[in-house]
Amino acid sequence: MSTLHTEEMTLNMGPQHPSTHGVLRFVVRADGEVMREAIPDVGYLHRSIEKIAEKVGYHGFMPYTDRVDYVCAMFTNQGWGMACEKLAGIEVPHRGEYCRVIAAEFNRIASHLLSVGAMAMDIGAVTPFTHAIREREMINDLIEELCGARLTFNYMRIGGVAWDLPPGWREKALAYLDHFDPILEEYNALISWNKIYIERLANVGVITPAEAVNYNLVGPNLRACGIKWDIRKDIPYSVYPEFEFDVPIGDGHWGKLGDSMDRYVVRIREMAESSKILRQALQKIPGGPVLAKVARNFKPPAGECQIRLESGRGDMGWYLVSDGSGYPWRVHVRTGSFAAMGIIQKLSAGLMIADLVTLIASLDVIAPEIDR
Amino acid sequence: METLVQHLIASGAFGKNASPHLIAAIVVFIMSAVVFLGVAFPFAGIVSWAERRVWARIQSRVGPNRVGPQGFLQWLADGVKHVCKEDIIPDESDAPLFKMAPYLVMLAFTLPWAVMPFSSSLILADLNVGILYMTSVTALTVVGVLMAGWASNDKWSLIGGIRSAAQIVSYEIPAGLSIFPVVLMTGTLSMQGIIRAQGWAPQHWFLFANPFTFVAANILYISALAEGNRTPFDLPEAESELVAGFATEYSGMRYLFFFMAEWGNLFIIGAIIATLFLGGWQFPHVTKNVIAMNILEALTFNVKVLFLVFVSMWIRATLPRVRIDQLMTLCWKYFVPISFVNMIGTAVWVAIWPDGNSLMGYIMLAGAIALGAVFTQRVIYYLRRSRMEVYFNPTI
Amino acid sequence: MSAVSEYVTNIKDAVTSIFEGMAVTASHFMRKPYTVQYPDRMPVRVQDTLPFRYRGILEVDLEICTGCLACERACPIDCIVIVVDKDPQTRQMLLSQFDIDIAKCMYCGLCSEPCPTGSIHHTTEFEGADYSLESLIRRFVTDPVLAYKPKKGPETDTRIAPILNRGMTYLDQWAQPGGEKPAEEEPA
Repeated sequence: MSTLHTEEMTLNMGPQHPSTHGVLRFVVRADGEVMREAIPDVGYLHRSIEKIAEKVGYHGFMPYTDRVDYVCAMFTNQGWGMACEKLAGIEVPHRGEYCRVIAAEFNRIASHLLSVGAMAMDIGAVTPFTHAIREREMINDLIEELCGARLTFNYMRIGGVAWDLPPGWREKALAYLDHFDPILEEYNALISWNKIYIERLANVGVITPAEAVNYNLVGPNLRACGIKWDIRKDIPYSVYPEFEFDVPIGDGHWGKLGDSMDRYVVRIREMAESSKILRQALQKIPGGPVLAKVARNFKPPAGECQIRLESGRGDMGWYLVSDGSGYPWRVHVRTGSFAAMGIIQKLSAGLMIADLVTLIASLDVIAPEIDR
Repeated sequence: METLVQHLIASGAFGKNASPHLIAAIVVFIMSAVVFLGVAFPFAGIVSWAERRVWARIQSRVGPNRVGPQGFLQWLADGVKHVCKEDIIPDESDAPLFKMAPYLVMLAFTLPWAVMPFSSSLILADLNVGILYMTSVTALTVVGVLMAGWASNDKWSLIGGIRSAAQIVSYEIPAGLSIFPVVLMTGTLSMQGIIRAQGWAPQHWFLFANPFTFVAANILYISALAEGNRTPFDLPEAESELVAGFATEYSGMRYLFFFMAEWGNLFIIGAIIATLFLGGWQFPHVTKNVIAMNILEALTFNVKVLFLVFVSMWIRATLPRVRIDQLMTLCWKYFVPISFVNMIGTAVWVAIWPDGNSLMGYIMLAGAIALGAVFTQRVIYYLRRSRMEVYFNPTI
Repeated sequence: MSAVSEYVTNIKDAVTSIFEGMAVTASHFMRKPYTVQYPDRMPVRVQDTLPFRYRGILEVDLEICTGCLACERACPIDCIVIVVDKDPQTRQMLLSQFDIDIAKCMYCGLCSEPCPTGSIHHTTEFEGADYSLESLIRRFVTDPVLAYKPKKGPETDTRIAPILNRGMTYLDQWAQPGGEKPAEEEPA
């Protein structure tokens, strides 16, 4: 019998789609349910933020950094602050560094909550998302008391942070952490160890360690392949050396090493580690000022500098070139999501369409970070 | 039904020369209208409101509570909204098939109500192949869903339609095989016959008659969920992948028909399980008044079915979706072999104890109560750990 | 043997994990929903429950505005337009225009930080939706007013003193560069 003539379908998972974490587009060539290739198409969220820096100056750019990755706004703030401080040689007071770490780790928990919640919702379970958002709302309430905003914080300044901890905030934060740890266990019992969920995630989108390094993956995506690389431990910055915490890595317990389940579990464990760091920071926070003296018309010396920090998505790099005037010459941000988009095309061969959604969710792609 | 008709003719309400067939036909038509318009369709609407409230409490939020008392009229508001929408028929679609598909799916939802045993005499037609009729007409959804997927002229809808067809057709097999243990034990396919073979007390239900029927009940429930396109098997209408699957191109009332059929199917799933395994309308004989007994029996039946509907909503809120190949694996590699084992096991059981073994009933009931106790202990454990405010009131 | 044991383990894992999941969701039936039923079923207005530092819609207390233009320079998005010039007859600074376009404003707080008196400040208002774009440009100056001259000692004018107090309390929330004021938190 002669072979049946079949055709490939070219589908468009367009920019308007309920599950592509932001405005992304995929051109999917599929043979029925099984995909041959999923070509990502980015750029729908490009806002020229790096160019805007050249117009608004150093202090004025801080609120724009929130919009680079609005889920991890504290980290982007910290990145810009660190880049300017390194160039101008400003030292942040000790208490200011502690405030930065506290805000950043709370933001990391919030970002990971959103990531695991959205992943559960993409797989089909609707309740873990609302539970994760409920916990995130409580963190947002805390941060609202601290800096006045719930999403685009603009909390940090060049030389420290803008507001000190309000009276009574430390107790509220510790009470929240006491509430959060059992809720994380409950969340795990609800969805993380659910057999259907594990079956959906295990062995999907396996990334070998060599591939991960070649494709420039960072953060939980990299650590899930077994590579223990965390900027907080390997290129320490701020006051992270003063805290004791672990860096969770994937171990291929549920499937192959580097599959979606590893990425998911690394994020869950990182939330527990952040909770540890927060407890230590809130206990050990010293007194003193939180903001160094920085001129209002800040003019760093001409030159360039690069800093790296561990944001919710991974190793975020900030590159700043200054020409000695009050406006930067060039700012560049290197984000983890951009690299993750690159690997999707390679991984998608042989996956089913349902798995493509799982893959995108497990790589924790946030669209504004890709396009800036 | 027959007794009711004979009662009416004998009382002379229609005059002496009335033909019994005509009267029977009129009574059947009126009762069908009452059942469909008064029970089936409003149920399909109300369950949408109930599902949203149940989901919302599971998700720590409130659900619709503004339109009418506790939001009870939300489904009416949704219906009116959908009716007022523009009826969009895509240009390139196959218009006759596109329009017919929702009606076929609705048909699959409407036909089983003819054999729904509400009480010992409230049944439209006590067919002697009742349960077989029920499972076969619910399979008509395949035709409607495939038509919808194909006629929409949309690749995403096509994927949804094909997935759904494969799913429903596959899960017919474990569902049918799981009905066999009950048929073996009663020797009849008629709904009333099966219910009469059980007693009103839990240890006399077929659920607890022997371990094979217990497993068969679970498999039947899960397969019925799969046939009704409910989570964890709602891949055809997977919201996060295919927007609305086979129903993407539909808008307005046509769209609502698909979902009314799905919500209404919950009752049918519950009715099948309640009839076959939970003793149907059986109620202890407390009064000689026929009408009062009928009302109590109907209430019992409805309570059992509504509990199962609630469990379906609860499952939908808890579990993630199963991927299409895993769905097929589950059906063919797990459910079908286990259903065969159940069938053979029940056959051996019936051969050994033709009149049933009531001791096993008590043992199984005790096991189920123990399971319930373990479940309650876990629930209390999570309540205590979370330290969130406890609030028993379903209204808010 | 491993295929059979895998089969049985799969079934056991599925049943136990789904059982646990259902127990978690069942426990949620008995918890109070976290929803705040805004705006009608709330005991207090939401605006009164927000913290003092909340960065809502901007407002200007013209009585204590000194016309220094620090906020206009600090704004990264150029949404503040101030016109202040010296009145030739009285030789005093006169504010003739103070517009804030709250549609452009990104609520970053960079304008209220350098204000010397706390005149421009964020309120806890967040309901600004309106039907016309014109109404989103808040014009705070109707007739030209004199700019405020801060006194060397405490403010004596009883009308202005409470406004100035509120403004300075607002400014106290900000960290002082170099830590001239003691931190509010007790060290551990």
